[in-house]
Amino acid sequence: MSFVVANALTHRFGHEVALDSVDLVLDSGEHMAVLGENGAGKTTLLRIIATALRPTSGKLEIGGLDGFHERRRLRGYIGFVAHAVGLYPALSAVENLEFFCDLYDVSHVRADEALETVGLAAEGQKAASDLSRGMQQRLAIARAILHNPRLLVLDEPDASLGADAADVLGRVMHGRTVVLSTHDHALASRLCPRTLVLRHGRSVGTATHLRVVR
Amino acid sequence: MNPVRVAFAVTRKDIRSEWRTREMVPALAQFVVLALVIANFGFQIDSRNAPSIAPGILWMALVFAGLVAFGRTFAAEREQASLEAVLMTPASPVAIFAGKAMAATILLVVCEAVMLPAMSLFFGTPFSAAVVGAVLLATIGMAALGCMFAAIVARIRARELLLPLLTLPLWIPFVIAGGQAVQSAMGLSGGYDNAMALLLDFDILFVVLTSLAARFVLDE
Repeated sequence: MSFVVANALTHRFGHEVALDSVDLVLDSGEHMAVLGENGAGKTTLLRIIATALRPTSGKLEIGGLDGFHERRRLRGYIGFVAHAVGLYPALSAVENLEFFCDLYDVSHVRADEALETVGLAAEGQKAASDLSRGMQQRLAIARAILHNPRLLVLDEPDASLGADAADVLGRVMHGRTVVLSTHDHALASRLCPRTLVLRHGRSVGTATHLRVVR
Repeated sequence: MNPVRVAFAVTRKDIRSEWRTREMVPALAQFVVLALVIANFGFQIDSRNAPSIAPGILWMALVFAGLVAFGRTFAAEREQASLEAVLMTPASPVAIFAGKAMAATILLVVCEAVMLPAMSLFFGTPFSAAVVGAVLLATIGMAALGCMFAAIVARIRARELLLPLLTLPLWIPFVIAGGQAVQSAMGLSGGYDNAMALLLDFDILFVVLTSLAARFVLDE
């Protein structure tokens, strides 16, 4: 059953067309990688799917709910890892997550579980500012799974994640519908059976295991 | 989703961050004390004219300290890109706004706790419950408005310039009523009760208006 259905998603920044009529259908539990050069529109597409950005035109449905009119409700089902980690540097890793537990209305126990999942259990008491860039990225990923989201939107999550990026991502993606953007084709191929390739904001094809279908 | 839990979580987080970094309160406290020192040398203040001049100095210093305090509430979140993460949760934007406003209010109240005794020391004005009550009552409404405009301008590059331009005109009623209340509390003739009632009315009006607007300002 289709979990994410996007029709003719278009977004303009002024006169610049960032995304041009992109269609996307994703089944429940399916993993899709979005590939493309810098400026191809990957981040714009992911932000729209995560409901962080309203498209100029087009339709988005997630789990049968309208992606624009029911955004607040949908955010309880979506986990989003954006380009910037967006952590509170003065708070410890655990405090960062516990704060978001309150916002997601879930138990603080989830903070420890999420840290365990991303391999940061030993660093829980360290201030976010004292963590390496890779650890901060793991913390941002942990924050995205606190509320056990059904849809995970990951914008270049492998950036500075380290050698075990695929293992960490594999653990957090398990059992969820995932849209992931990356420049690492090998990682995309390993984690996502389906691929969408963007060029200049347009979809130039979808592929299964990177065999592009035009 | 419990909005009270969300609001307190946001306030707790902001206060904890400030406690760890000590970025704002020491600088603001220093600023208000310096403003008093400058005023002390700039005006010929004695026991006769202190009740009429001191309230003006108090509100000038508070207004500028408030602009800095409220300006940082959302600017810091935007700079570290954490506001988007907060808004990506299902938590109510009104609760998030209320939490931020409460935290900024607490920080300003800490500065006031430094300023009011310092003013009493410099100018010999009474440090009474009536003065404290007037300042606290004005702070609530000023915080609601200040945080609202801080949220609006946070995404604009010239926010430091725009925030005073938007906020100061709407703070004028608080300065007028607050000034009158403090003057009266310091011994000048005037209706303290009327000024306090006016401050309360402004508080209710602006807290309600900013709560209604918060949804549209924060929910991009």
